[in-house]
Amino acid sequence: MAESKSAIEQTLIHIAADLTQDWGIELDQPLSAETRLVADMEFASVDIIQLIVAIEEHYNRPKMGFQDLLMNDGSYVDDLSIGQLIDFVHEKLTGVPA
Amino acid sequence: MTTRTLFIGMDGCTFTILDDLCVEKDGQPAVMPFLGSIMARGTRAKLRSTPNPLTPPAWVSLMTGRTPGNHGLLDFIRAEERGEDVFFTLYDSRDNLAETIWSIASRQERRVAVLNLPFTAPPPKDLNGFMVPGFIPWRHLRRNTVPGDFYDRLKQDLPGFDPKELAWDFEQEKQAVDDLTDEDRENWVRYHLPREKQWFEIAKYLLKEEAPELMAVMFDGVDKLQHQAWLFLDPALQHDGVSDYHKRMRTLCLDYFRQLDGFIEELVTMAGPDCQVFMASDHGFTATTEVVRINAWLHEKGYLHWKEVLDPGSEAAKRREESMFANLDWTKTTAYCRTPSSNGINIRVARNPGETGIKPEDYEAFREQLILDIKALKDPVTGESIVSEIHLREEVFAGPAMMDAPDLLLVLRDFGFVSIKNKLPIVEPREEPAGTHHPDGIFIACGPGVRKGVQIERRHICDVGATLLYSQGLEVPGDFEGKVAGDMFIKPWLIQNPIRIGEATRGVNKDANAEGMADDEKDKLMAQLQMLGYME
Repeated sequence: MAESKSAIEQTLIHIAADLTQDWGIELDQPLSAETRLVADMEFASVDIIQLIVAIEEHYNRPKMGFQDLLMNDGSYVDDLSIGQLIDFVHEKLTGVPA
Repeated sequence: MTTRTLFIGMDGCTFTILDDLCVEKDGQPAVMPFLGSIMARGTRAKLRSTPNPLTPPAWVSLMTGRTPGNHGLLDFIRAEERGEDVFFTLYDSRDNLAETIWSIASRQERRVAVLNLPFTAPPPKDLNGFMVPGFIPWRHLRRNTVPGDFYDRLKQDLPGFDPKELAWDFEQEKQAVDDLTDEDRENWVRYHLPREKQWFEIAKYLLKEEAPELMAVMFDGVDKLQHQAWLFLDPALQHDGVSDYHKRMRTLCLDYFRQLDGFIEELVTMAGPDCQVFMASDHGFTATTEVVRINAWLHEKGYLHWKEVLDPGSEAAKRREESMFANLDWTKTTAYCRTPSSNGINIRVARNPGETGIKPEDYEAFREQLILDIKALKDPVTGESIVSEIHLREEVFAGPAMMDAPDLLLVLRDFGFVSIKNKLPIVEPREEPAGTHHPDGIFIACGPGVRKGVQIERRHICDVGATLLYSQGLEVPGDFEGKVAGDMFIKPWLIQNPIRIGEATRGVNKDANAEGMADDEKDKLMAQLQMLGYME
C-alpha cells in the first residue's frame, strides 16, 4: 500500500534533517513543507543531487524522474520547497497528481 | 579476529617514480625506504589498466574483477544523446552492474573495511563491516558511511577527525587538470598532505579496534600530485639547472611520498606478520608533452559542427568555451568526443525517424573512413602518427554496457587526454611536460606465502580483485575475468591453498522499480549537469 502524504512528509523531513544535521546551518523555523532547499537550507547543486539519491534509495526507486520537478518549461528551477518534493513523491508513489 | 589481507591502493602510482624514491640517491637516504623493503621481500609486477586507463573504469575493474564493458563505469561523467542534445550526469555506485569483492566477501561472512575507494557510494546494503566512500563531498559523507553510526564513532573516538579535510571537494579536484599558477600548484600539493593523513588515521583506527579480515584503504593524492607536479617528480626531468621554485616543489612532493611511506609502514606493521599485504594502482603515469584538440580536428574534417555562440564575449559564452563538455550543433555533427577523459569518439547514428546522424547501414563504412582520417593525423615534422592506437568499441568494451562506450577509443602517442575545446592549432606542444595516465600501474605483494624479491610478468587490473578473494581463502567467482596472480605465491603455499573457482557473482538488479527509465534517465543527466554548473 502506498504511503499517505503525511507519512511521506515525515519521511522527507527526516531525510532532509538527517542529511543536514552537521552542516552547521541555522533555520529560522523548524523543517517543514515550506522550507526551501536553497534559500533556507543553503543547498548547493550537488546537495540537491544527493538529496534525490537519498529519497530514491529510501523508496528503493532509483529512477523516480525528478527532472519533472527540477525543470519548468525547459528551464531549471532556482529553488525547491520540501512541500514540492512531498507532492512529487506522492504523485510518483500513488499515481495521483498533487 | 585478525586482519588476513591488507590492501593499500595508490591512485596513479607508477614504478617510474617508486623505483626512484625507494633507493638512496646522491648520498641522500631513500624517500620511501619501507616500500623499498616491501618490494625486496615481496613480489612486484606491472599492472595493465583498463583500455582507457582512468580512475572510474579502472578502480571498478579492480573491485569487481570485470572489464568496463561488463561493469559499466566508463568515465566520471555519463552522457546520453537525446534528440538534438546530449545530457550528462555523474556516475555513482548504482551504475555498477557487477558485484564488488566487498559484497562477495561480506556474503561469505568476511568482515571488510573499505576506505576511500571511488564509486562505492551509495554504499551496498549488504556490507559486513565498514565503508567510508571516496569521491563524496564532506556534507554527504555521514549518510554514505557504513555502518550508520560509524561516522559519529569517528568523530567521537578519533582526535583530529575532520570530514572537511578528508573528503572530496569538487572545486579543489577540478584543479587536478587545470592550469595553475605556481602558488596554486604549491598549495595544491600541500592540500593533499593532511587529507591523506585523515584516511590513514581511520585505517589505523579500524585495524586497531576492529581488525577486519579484509582491510582496504586508498590514497588518491598520488594521482593528484602527479597531474600537477610531474615535472618535479619524473627522474628523467630532473637536472642541475632547475629553478628554486622547482627545487621547492620537488622537496614538497617528496615530503608527500615520505609521509605516504610512513603510513604504509605503520599500517603493514599493525596488520602483523601473518597478514598478506597487497598494493596496487589503477593506472600508471607518464609525461604528456602536447595538446591534441580532437574536436577541433573533427570540425576541420567536417564531422563536427560547433554550436553558434549568440553572445560571444558574455560570461555564459566563456563558460561554454571552458566547459569540459562538448557544445555542438547536433543537427550537423556526425562524430565528436564527449569528454576529455573518455579519449574516445562517438559516432552519431540516426536510429529512429527524425533523429540526426548517419544512417545505420552506413555505420561500418563511416567508421572505417574516420579511422583512416585519424591515422592520417600526423606530426608535420616527424611524420609520426599523433594517435598511436585506435580501438573499436566491440574490441575493448564488449559487454552489456558497450553501447554507452565511445565507438572509437584513442591512445595518443604521449598517452595524453584529448582536449575538446574549440581552439587551434590541432596539435600544440605544451609549455612544460605535465602528468598523464599511463596504462601500466603497480601491483606489489608481500607476506606469508608470497615469493620474495621477484618481479613477475605484467598482470591485469582485474586480477587484483581475484587475488584479494584468494587471499581471503574464498573461491573466485566463475564469471570473473580476472585471474588469481598465482605466480606471486610460493608453490607450497599454492598446494596448501589451492586456487578455487566457484559460482558466478550475484547479479545486481539495476532496474528494480525503475519507471520510464529511458526518458527519466536522460532527463536526470541534464538536470544534474545543469546543477553542477556545467551547462547553462
